[in-house]
Amino acid sequence: MNLLDLFPIQALGSLEYLNLLPLFTLSFGAIGSILVGTHKEKGHTWAFSLSLLSVLIAFFQVKGALFSSDVSILQETLIFSPFTKTLSLMILVFSSVALIVTRGQDKKEGLLSEVYGLILFATTGMILMLSTQHLVFMFIALEIMSLAIYVLVAMRRTSSYSAEAGLKYFILGGLASAFFLYGSSLIFGATGSFELGAISNFLSAHPNPSFIYFVGLGLVLTAMLFKVGAVPFHGWVPDVYQGAATNITGFMGASVKFTAFMALAKISQNLVFVDGVNNLQWFKSYIWVVAAASMIYGNFVAISQNEIKRMLSFSTIAHTGYLLLGLYAMNIGDHSSRDMIVYLFFYALSNLGAFAVISQFEEKNQKDLTLDQLAGIGMKHPFLGGLFTLFLLSMAGIPLTSGFIGKYGLFSSAVNAGEVPLVILAVLTSVVSVFYYLRVIIFMFMKEPTGEAVTYQGLKGAGFAAIISAAATLQFGLFPKAVLSFVKMISK
Amino acid sequence: METSCLLSWIIFTPLIFGVIIAFLPKSLEQIFRKIALVQTLVNALIATYLYVNFDGSSGAAQFTEVVSWLPDWGINYSVAIDGISLPLVMLTAFVAPVAILGTWPDLKHVELKKEKFFVFCLMALQSGMYGTFLATDLFLFYFFWEVVLIPMFFMIGIWGGKDRIYATTKFFLYTMVGSLLMLVAIFWMIKTGQEVSGFATADFSNLSKLQFSFDGSSLSSALSSPQTLLFFAFALAFVIKVPMVPFHTWLPDAHVQAPTVGSVFLAAVLLKMGTYGLMRIAIPMFPEASHYFSTLFIALGVIGIIYGAFCALAQTDFKKLVAYSSVSHMGYIMIGLFSFQKIAIAGSLYQMINHGISAGGLFLVVGFLYERLHTRNLEEFGGLAKVVPLMSIGFMIMTLSSVALPGSNGFVGEFPILLGAFQVHPVYVLFAGTGVILGAVYALKAYQMVMLGPKTRTDLDHLHDLNVKEIIAMCVLTIFVFGIGFFPKSFFGKSDATLENYGNTLIQKVSSK
Repeated sequence: MNLLDLFPIQALGSLEYLNLLPLFTLSFGAIGSILVGTHKEKGHTWAFSLSLLSVLIAFFQVKGALFSSDVSILQETLIFSPFTKTLSLMILVFSSVALIVTRGQDKKEGLLSEVYGLILFATTGMILMLSTQHLVFMFIALEIMSLAIYVLVAMRRTSSYSAEAGLKYFILGGLASAFFLYGSSLIFGATGSFELGAISNFLSAHPNPSFIYFVGLGLVLTAMLFKVGAVPFHGWVPDVYQGAATNITGFMGASVKFTAFMALAKISQNLVFVDGVNNLQWFKSYIWVVAAASMIYGNFVAISQNEIKRMLSFSTIAHTGYLLLGLYAMNIGDHSSRDMIVYLFFYALSNLGAFAVISQFEEKNQKDLTLDQLAGIGMKHPFLGGLFTLFLLSMAGIPLTSGFIGKYGLFSSAVNAGEVPLVILAVLTSVVSVFYYLRVIIFMFMKEPTGEAVTYQGLKGAGFAAIISAAATLQFGLFPKAVLSFVKMISK
Repeated sequence: METSCLLSWIIFTPLIFGVIIAFLPKSLEQIFRKIALVQTLVNALIATYLYVNFDGSSGAAQFTEVVSWLPDWGINYSVAIDGISLPLVMLTAFVAPVAILGTWPDLKHVELKKEKFFVFCLMALQSGMYGTFLATDLFLFYFFWEVVLIPMFFMIGIWGGKDRIYATTKFFLYTMVGSLLMLVAIFWMIKTGQEVSGFATADFSNLSKLQFSFDGSSLSSALSSPQTLLFFAFALAFVIKVPMVPFHTWLPDAHVQAPTVGSVFLAAVLLKMGTYGLMRIAIPMFPEASHYFSTLFIALGVIGIIYGAFCALAQTDFKKLVAYSSVSHMGYIMIGLFSFQKIAIAGSLYQMINHGISAGGLFLVVGFLYERLHTRNLEEFGGLAKVVPLMSIGFMIMTLSSVALPGSNGFVGEFPILLGAFQVHPVYVLFAGTGVILGAVYALKAYQMVMLGPKTRTDLDHLHDLNVKEIIAMCVLTIFVFGIGFFPKSFFGKSDATLENYGNTLIQKVSSK
């Protein structure tokens, strides 16, 4: 008996190491930045520099290996293809922007220097989650990501809401994780595999899976819908968005949503949208109903919010609805998630930018930025006001911005898939969303400043992050050809 | 096909100037209006060059320019001009300098408010309008159509009157409802095009070849036909913009609250985007559906004419009166377009231009008065003709143009519409004809209340008459009023071939069913 029989794992070759290298960089960078962060005076600066450096190195490592041949590690548990690596690149872009935003916020919000290391840990978890095809490994990646995020949310020591938000998110997230794990085990029991591709093949061969498969699938889908914040599993979203430090909220809205949606797409592709299997149409209708409910609920509730972060948290529920429409359309179309990727990428950049601007306007020990405080700010600080306007227009899907291109792609593919009623619902609720996005612009540019207007203390890290995001929003709004073609190429 | 980038210059010249303005320091804000005037004059020059070089004997699209933009979705940046878009582009090019000259701020009395942003909005607005009229790609058309909203939203919202926020929100949301449903219809058309021809395309000429099934055997089958659904999705977006009763309620609010220059652009050009869309997309691409439901639109057009006229009659706010007169006059264009008669369709195109001139002129007059007296209440004027004779002459000319006096441009538009439509819908035209009389009643009433009669205020004696810039603005409009009124052929002659083709194709499509 040799060693390979005891531990049936092949030794890793150089190509495998090349693809795993960014993950090593991120993990060691995270540990390193937590260690250097303990320095009393320069801790924050060093931790920030080291973590940003690690993300940039990881970015170029992934980019360098982007078109190397596909690598599959641990019997298809981890797959590194141009597709997964492109998604990783996008995550790394979001993380670097989030790090820069955090730089201006750390002291103000009383964030410890560990915030940088935790963002890196979360990023590692996200990359693992985007690269795996294995349900249990997906669970582990989900936990790596979520645990870091729970801490990040609870870390804002200047606000008591933060601890509440962290605890709420932790308890509910733990429940969702339990759903995911239990569901995976039931699916394993019904199909004999944890590997998504194998399960899909099993279903194609057995059009009548046993009942426990459907129970498991329901649990897994519910867990993922919780993570993306879809109605009726959205309860945590407003509180967590509001309680977390603004830079963390932006990071969550961009990266966590991106990752969770890509995982949901992967699961749906293999477990739900399998042709010829009986009873799966119930789960398709499930997604349809959740999509419609998210659009309606998110948009209508956002109208009545006076606090910007809370309003954006409801609007993110609405965006979840649009994305679920894209997911549903995947079922009928060519099973490609490219329109969702483009939408998520553009939305994430606008989202990061918007929260970066908000964090520039926020003051220390403040509960939340309200619309009244924004009154007249666009006239006083036209540059930041203009940037915020751009991000809001992008989220509303008005031409000239990348949000329009994302929406156009998503909705047009849904129409191509024949799902016209849901698209009409989506555009009509979009009109509602235009109303509350405009309301912010109206307050910024068309109202006189009230007594409690915010004071603004010069451009900080967040300002630079906002400029980067704005440039991307405008660039991809006018000339999105490169992104569209690239995503189309890698998702073949 | 010959390629030219002249049209791109027309579209992007305002935007280039706008970007330059954005980088100029605030200390130069005194000259921003002058730069804006230079820009509009440059555009007018390019447009004149375009007009001279436009080949009126050909009905085909000219000065075509196609640049690949989003090849994966079959979308190109493609612009071209034909006899339908030519007059609208010329209208925009000439109304813009007139509007800026006629609303020149008197720095002795008013303080500039965010002048840089204002001028930038003016320029962005022009780019959007030119783009909408010149695009020959459905996606590009939609793109510009939406872009126009943003500067207008800011213009009403920042520089508007007391209820500006309500008005601008209403304006934006109304337009959005229509245009987002239009977007769904655009998706559907592109999808159908892809299924038929195998490649994605959003080009007008390719899409207009598509046949969408239509079953006119009964009302319910007609309503459920794909062509009808598409037609209504487009038509809703366009009639909101026109605006046609009952979708007109945003217009009086937007007009009354908007700054004068915004009102002029809104009335003269923005409303025409709606009728242009009907003429360019909704009617020719869905001919059977639009023919089937034409009576509905004509009826609503007639209701608009009469209802708008009565509303105008009841106003004491001068600006609101002109706004309702727009609702009334745009009704004629609806009748002309949906009568499916060649002469009426041509009349509709003329009326688009003529209404642009007369409504733009009337809004300028309202602006003159408001700037001097800070009121728009008709009852607070009176007896001004002796104090400000030049203004009263200008006002009279615009009023006559508005009531379609023979010899003025209004007659050239309305007469062919009524003549053509009478052949198919005599009863409706009879009612529409009463609108002409009502139009004379409210327009002359307004003139009488402002210029004639006893003076109601003592401070009216010190009113100063039009200054040079305002005189120039009114003179340009006057030239067009009588020029078109007496020699319509020399202004609209270059559109004949296009209109002939357009009418023939349309009538052939409709009658072959």
